[in-house]
Amino acid sequence: MKHTRPDDARPKSTRPRQAGRPGPANAALGAAGLAGFLALCEAVPRLGIVSEDYFPPLSRIADALVTELGDRTFWTALGDTLTGWAVGLAIAVTAGILAGVGIAVVPFLREATASTIEFLRPIPSVALIPLAVLLYGTELRSVLLLVVYASFWQVLIQVLYGVQDVDPVAEETARSYGLGTWARVRHVLWPTALPYVMTGVRLAAAVALILAVTAELVIGAPGLGARIMVAQTSQAVPEMYALVVVTGALGLVINVGARTVERRALAWHQSVRGEVAV
Amino acid sequence: MHGLLSVSGLKKVYEGSGRRVEAVRDLTFTVDAGELVCLVGPSGCGKTTLLKCMAGLLTPTSGEVLLEGRPVSGPPPGMAVVFQEYGRSLFPWMRVGENVELPLKQKQLSRQRRRALVADALESVGLGDAAGAYPWQLSGGMQQRVAIARALAYEPDVLLMDEPFAAVDAQTRADLEDLVRGLWRDRGITILFVTHDIDEAVYLGERVLILSASPTVVQEQLKVDLPSERDQLHTRVDPRFAELRTRVYEQIQAAKRGVVPGA
Repeated sequence: MKHTRPDDARPKSTRPRQAGRPGPANAALGAAGLAGFLALCEAVPRLGIVSEDYFPPLSRIADALVTELGDRTFWTALGDTLTGWAVGLAIAVTAGILAGVGIAVVPFLREATASTIEFLRPIPSVALIPLAVLLYGTELRSVLLLVVYASFWQVLIQVLYGVQDVDPVAEETARSYGLGTWARVRHVLWPTALPYVMTGVRLAAAVALILAVTAELVIGAPGLGARIMVAQTSQAVPEMYALVVVTGALGLVINVGARTVERRALAWHQSVRGEVAV
Repeated sequence: MHGLLSVSGLKKVYEGSGRRVEAVRDLTFTVDAGELVCLVGPSGCGKTTLLKCMAGLLTPTSGEVLLEGRPVSGPPPGMAVVFQEYGRSLFPWMRVGENVELPLKQKQLSRQRRRALVADALESVGLGDAAGAYPWQLSGGMQQRVAIARALAYEPDVLLMDEPFAAVDAQTRADLEDLVRGLWRDRGITILFVTHDIDEAVYLGERVLILSASPTVVQEQLKVDLPSERDQLHTRVDPRFAELRTRVYEQIQAAKRGVVPGA
């Protein structure tokens, strides 16, 4: 089970520390790539390769974005989306951690839940949209149902892998010094699982945003997704793209934020501390 | 008449997946208060099994372990274990000081008392200024010193050491051996030291228990009548040291061939 973590969850001890860090040259290259992409977005519609009706040049999208940013209802929609995302993620993370640790501590629960988890986990959250609409209509709770369902599994699965990873020597050390079950959960099991939990939270944060926007788009619950829908049906194409750009930026910010939290919480872990010269 | 730690008729059989392995057949010995006893035996003779049974981490198939006359059924409060794998036994998410302090928190000692014990234990292993470092920032030998400090701070009646120096280099090993001798003399703790190294057993121990090959019994007990002041330079060239190590070596060879003493 130890080796079934997703790739980006694996400690990167074998990789030189510098590899993941963008140096000045890498940063310049990245900026040049982005600039090239933006220039392409401007040029392609202007040259008439695609119709401006469906793909307006970048400058018009930027204009629309500026207009959006000056609109109070845009900020309300952004707030709605972030609320759905944050509340859903918080519920999923809390439930995932509690369930995961609970299952780990009580051995028969693991056997009893394994097949059920494997069955429930692959159900795409969007398949539950009809259920959400039936239960809660277009309220926030509809969004929450989908967000929680999708991100809960991300966290739970990681926690389940993490608690498996407890070193038998660490466990025996703790037992030999008389640490009880609760103390071992707190001082051994939880720190061991934490790198996995952090990966789970980071994955869940991304999935939660996708599901929040999807739910708003399809169900019409208030938020950025619903605003994109409105822009689309009213032929406000540049505005629609502007909103899409906003959701992308949101995802970027969330991922960077999650990585920062991860690095701080796991300063002791091999994947973060790198190789220490002794 | 019981010693501080007494093992009687200890037997451990591992059963699982159709295989039945008798790791320890019948072990009986005692360790008196204040003794430093070394356990040697051929590799795979069940030393670690024995140690885990004594530490209350494994339940023996039959026989019992008594600590101060009370049977050991789980990890007893008066016992500390130093494992071979220091890198895995110390918690990388805690600083050195926190590692040493954690078992004391379980003992419900006051904060002041904990601080004093941690400082004293780290000082006595020569790591007085390392409390704020993480274990992985230290060398292997220093990490094992931290593990020893953690055991000392716990103030055990008996200290069990499971091949603690098997994974460090020879020079570090000599230093750590002298450290253990010194701690034993200064603090008067009872130490049971498991090793596969004959020289180490003779150099450290006041008594050496030689175990047979698996299924394990006590092959022989040997009193080490070397002076209590020992040092790496002189003790190891002492003719008596050579005699004792030869004796232990012969016994272990005999054990490997399956020769039972007196038979």
